Amino acid sequence: MLEAFLTSAITMATPILLAALGELLVEESGVINIGIEGAMLAGAFVALAIAYFSGSTALGLAGAIAAGVAINAIFATLVVNLAVNQVVTGTAVSILALGLTGVFYRKLFGVTGKAFMVAPIAKIPLGALARIPLLGPVLFDHNGLVYFTFILVPTLWYVIARTRYGLRLRACGERPEAADALGLGVIAIRWQALIVSGALTGLAGAFLTLAYANTFVENISAGRGFVALSVVIVGRWNSWGLAAASVLFGAAMALQFGLQALGTVVPYQLFLALPYALTLVVLAGFGGQAAAPSALGEPYRRP
Amino acid sequence: MLRANAITKRFGRTLALDAVDFEALPGEIHALVGENGAGKTTLMNVLAGSLAADRGETILDGRPLRAGSPRAALAAGIAAVHQSPMLFERMTWEENLALGGFDTGAGALDLDAIAMRARSLAAKLGFEMPPAGATVENRSVAERVRLEVLRALSFNPRVLILDEPTSVLAPSELAAFLDLLRNLRGEGRIVVLITHKLAEAIAVADRITVLRRGRVVARTTPAETSEEKLAGLMIGEIVAQPAASATPPHSGDPVLQIEDLTLDDHTGRRILDRLSFRVAAGEIVGIAGVDGNGQTELVELLAGARRPSGGKITVLDGSSDGAMAVIPQNRDLDGLILDMRLWENLILARPLRERVTSHGWLDTARAIDLCRELIDRFRIHVPGPETIAGALSGGNRQRLEVARAIASRPRVIVAHNICRGLDLAATAEVHRTILDFSAGSGAVILISSDLDELLAICGRLLIISRGKIRETNRGERDPERLGLLMAGARD
Amino acid sequence: MLSSIAKPFAALALAAALISIVLAALGASPVGVFAALGEGAFGNWYACVDTIVKSTPLVFTGLAVSLAFSGALWNIGADGQLTIGAIAAGAIGPHLGNFPHAIAIAIILAAGALGGAVWGGVAGWLRARRDVNEVISTIMLNFVAVQALSWVVHGPLMEPSRAYPTSSPIARAAQLEFYFAPSRINLGMILAVALAAACYLLLFRTGAGFELRAMGRNRRAATFFAIRIPALTLWVMALSGALAGLGGAVQISAISHRLYEKLSPGWGFEAIAVALVARLNPLGIIPAAILFGALDNGSQAMQRTQGVSPELVQVIQGLVILIILAFDTPAWSGLRENIFGAPHDAAAAAPLAEMPDA
Repeated sequence: MLEAFLTSAITMATPILLAALGELLVEESGVINIGIEGAMLAGAFVALAIAYFSGSTALGLAGAIAAGVAINAIFATLVVNLAVNQVVTGTAVSILALGLTGVFYRKLFGVTGKAFMVAPIAKIPLGALARIPLLGPVLFDHNGLVYFTFILVPTLWYVIARTRYGLRLRACGERPEAADALGLGVIAIRWQALIVSGALTGLAGAFLTLAYANTFVENISAGRGFVALSVVIVGRWNSWGLAAASVLFGAAMALQFGLQALGTVVPYQLFLALPYALTLVVLAGFGGQAAAPSALGEPYRRP
Repeated sequence: MLRANAITKRFGRTLALDAVDFEALPGEIHALVGENGAGKTTLMNVLAGSLAADRGETILDGRPLRAGSPRAALAAGIAAVHQSPMLFERMTWEENLALGGFDTGAGALDLDAIAMRARSLAAKLGFEMPPAGATVENRSVAERVRLEVLRALSFNPRVLILDEPTSVLAPSELAAFLDLLRNLRGEGRIVVLITHKLAEAIAVADRITVLRRGRVVARTTPAETSEEKLAGLMIGEIVAQPAASATPPHSGDPVLQIEDLTLDDHTGRRILDRLSFRVAAGEIVGIAGVDGNGQTELVELLAGARRPSGGKITVLDGSSDGAMAVIPQNRDLDGLILDMRLWENLILARPLRERVTSHGWLDTARAIDLCRELIDRFRIHVPGPETIAGALSGGNRQRLEVARAIASRPRVIVAHNICRGLDLAATAEVHRTILDFSAGSGAVILISSDLDELLAICGRLLIISRGKIRETNRGERDPERLGLLMAGARD
Repeated sequence: MLSSIAKPFAALALAAALISIVLAALGASPVGVFAALGEGAFGNWYACVDTIVKSTPLVFTGLAVSLAFSGALWNIGADGQLTIGAIAAGAIGPHLGNFPHAIAIAIILAAGALGGAVWGGVAGWLRARRDVNEVISTIMLNFVAVQALSWVVHGPLMEPSRAYPTSSPIARAAQLEFYFAPSRINLGMILAVALAAACYLLLFRTGAGFELRAMGRNRRAATFFAIRIPALTLWVMALSGALAGLGGAVQISAISHRLYEKLSPGWGFEAIAVALVARLNPLGIIPAAILFGALDNGSQAMQRTQGVSPELVQVIQGLVILIILAFDTPAWSGLRENIFGAPHDAAAAAPLAEMPDA
């Protein structure tokens, strides 16, 4: 029971963490991307559509990456090149993606109500590690995307905190005019962050359709992209913090099913609302913007 | 040799640089002087690649420079130390320098090696470095200037351009800095020093170029000129220094009392430490200090933009509503809303807003009339009250803020670096306005880093240093002594 | 002034062009779709009235959004605030049978406003006192509100026969009646227009509205002039929520008369497009709301005759917002013409400050 719950927590946490890690890169460069929800949804839909019609999971994943990047590219053009209000642009991008995926979903799959299933991504149990009692199945019996996300946490920490590239990235988020004066190229760096983030968020969406639900429903992301934004804040813009916060929210989501199965008197809506309410509570306690990159959210253009 | 040919640059309808020719030679310190608004910073930005000129080109050692690219300028060997801070506050000083030229770019990032190279260069220049791993945000302003100079030098530039580097240095640190410039000259570099401080220009430069309203009006050397002549060239006429009102303002009843005012920032660092002083009606109290010793935070507390961690601000003899009018240092960003019209900016001041509001309803027509009145009275050169504040020149914006402050009929006006960036005539005008205000029993707190200004019009003088304040007595009103106190020398 | 009207039109034209591309990708005919939209929205008297009916909630949420945005408070939660307002109205509605009509209406609308005010106020408090980004908090509150609605219609407020997940119908006294039946013109629309006028007056003719706009354009400068940002944040978010909640109450009172799941088809998000087309001006909200109401109304005909699903309307919303923002970029507009004000960075201000006295 506990094992199922913890495994579920990790599974639920993965797409959130993956998207949050991408957003971390973007926010370190000084941009806040509310369109992350739209990129996730686009990735989810494209992954399913391509996997279903081509029969290839790999192609589906590739499509998800492309979709996420495309959505973020629209966002980047407005926000980085044209220095437009980031919050409203991101919201618009999410609305746009919601509409586009809805329209094309109906077109491609009709309104028959039949669920279009795809085979889930194969799990890759890690041999002996997967046989450790309790921890084994929880941590080492997942599909490749989960492992990829695990590895991404220390990797991104290292890149951001210890490499030359990470330094330049942080400079853009700290004081873009100084970064430009040093010839760092703020616009290029922010674009790069948004493209990488688009790929990661697209993959996060693909996880939802190819590994978790194995089908697509409208608005399947259900706000996970927005939860990822909170994860970045609660995690204090630090990869390890993000990982911890994601697992926390993943656990809250996993709790829904566990407790419903118990058939308690408490209404199931409470559990569905739990992740979102929990986000609020945690933000109230730890949600200050004091640790944010100094120039986060401020439109910037070269004089 | 650095040469700029016929550089022209327009911002909107204003011509910032008009076919400017400039030239500087290796092994020379070339001073570029002029009033604020003359175009010095614009020219520097063009030379350093931050700005692309509309016309004209920059040539270094015979090779033309690609316009509008700081990277190209740095690669060619031009490094600049800008007037506004260009350090990354939350990063350590090693990381800041790593973004300069100390990083070889090969292999993994090695902050220790970078720190070592920085320290050795610093030792040669006589600088002290902050402790290992210290972030920039806690460093003093002088240290930051040194870090920026160090970072610029790390590129081993042929040309080093410095924009008003000494405005944040205490008088005692100035001599060391000028020696540094001479050392750099001795190494065969081209040093371009942008300044409005004529004494410094004459003291250290080999040649001087004078800019006025975007044009070169004179090229000369220290031997051939003098401070008075340069001042005349800068503003286009000889203006007699406005004689400061000889009568020391008579002190009336105390109006403002500050007791043990303390401010800690969110990390617990003490920014203001138990400030206590009082101000009486009719007084002009000066607070002298080098930028970055807590003045901005003090102004924020007095304006009510921030709450103190301890202590009290008390307005004596009357209500505290509208008792204080504040003119912040950062005029454009903190004192005005550039998108809004003049009359809207005017009613930002609560007393004025209350005058044109009844039961919550805003009488727009009255506000516009009030604005028109003030435009006339204070001679602000604008088309009308509906003009957008952003369209005003720096001088007119300042006039607007002073007008607003006076018109709100406060007990105390708090002005922070009120004359920074103004030319001599405008400065004289502002000083006259302040003196008139205090003659009418208004109290003024003048916070400034300009000792000349403070000594000219202040009755009492306090020194603020590292968040602590201290009264000076008659005997200490000597620029050298004050300079030392400002730099934090112990008695 | 001219450009501030011309820009939305140009934006809509460009949106139409881009939509045509999407439609082509779907294999639908752009001309056919636009014709169907127009026909469905304005084809006959009933369609026109229905368009007005569909625009009404957009006026309420549009006002809510534009008020908050004017203060640089990014209220993405108008949906949730509307929902909670509807819940409050739907909860008290059935019990108002013994009240005189006017009182019952007043009570049910007040309940809606109060519910929305609380929901908006929570986000406002979190921002004012805990520095929580209101974008995220309002979005989270949206999701919580959806679950709250689901719970009440399956649980405490469920209608007595327990056959369908809806609440008991509100009392007749609390229903806004229709004029010119069978059209659905009701007092709610009048209320919406009146509120738009009131919001305009608030924003541009009161001291409080001035403080709101000052905070929106330059928050830091506002603090130097004794504008109490935390208090202002709280009451603006509460007022914004109240407007949205009122919209929910009007929906319940005039149209649906009971609660059911998925009450709002996304009015809160659509309101963002409405607010931007109106350039945050409350008076402009009315024509903007009618435009998007027309799209909503026409989309059913579009689905019927052209086979394009109604989600296309969301695509239109998203595109319109993006295009308006793109046209509004500070790079191309002068200072005053921006909806949100020029970026207040030192780099932008510096060249201007350097200018010599004219």
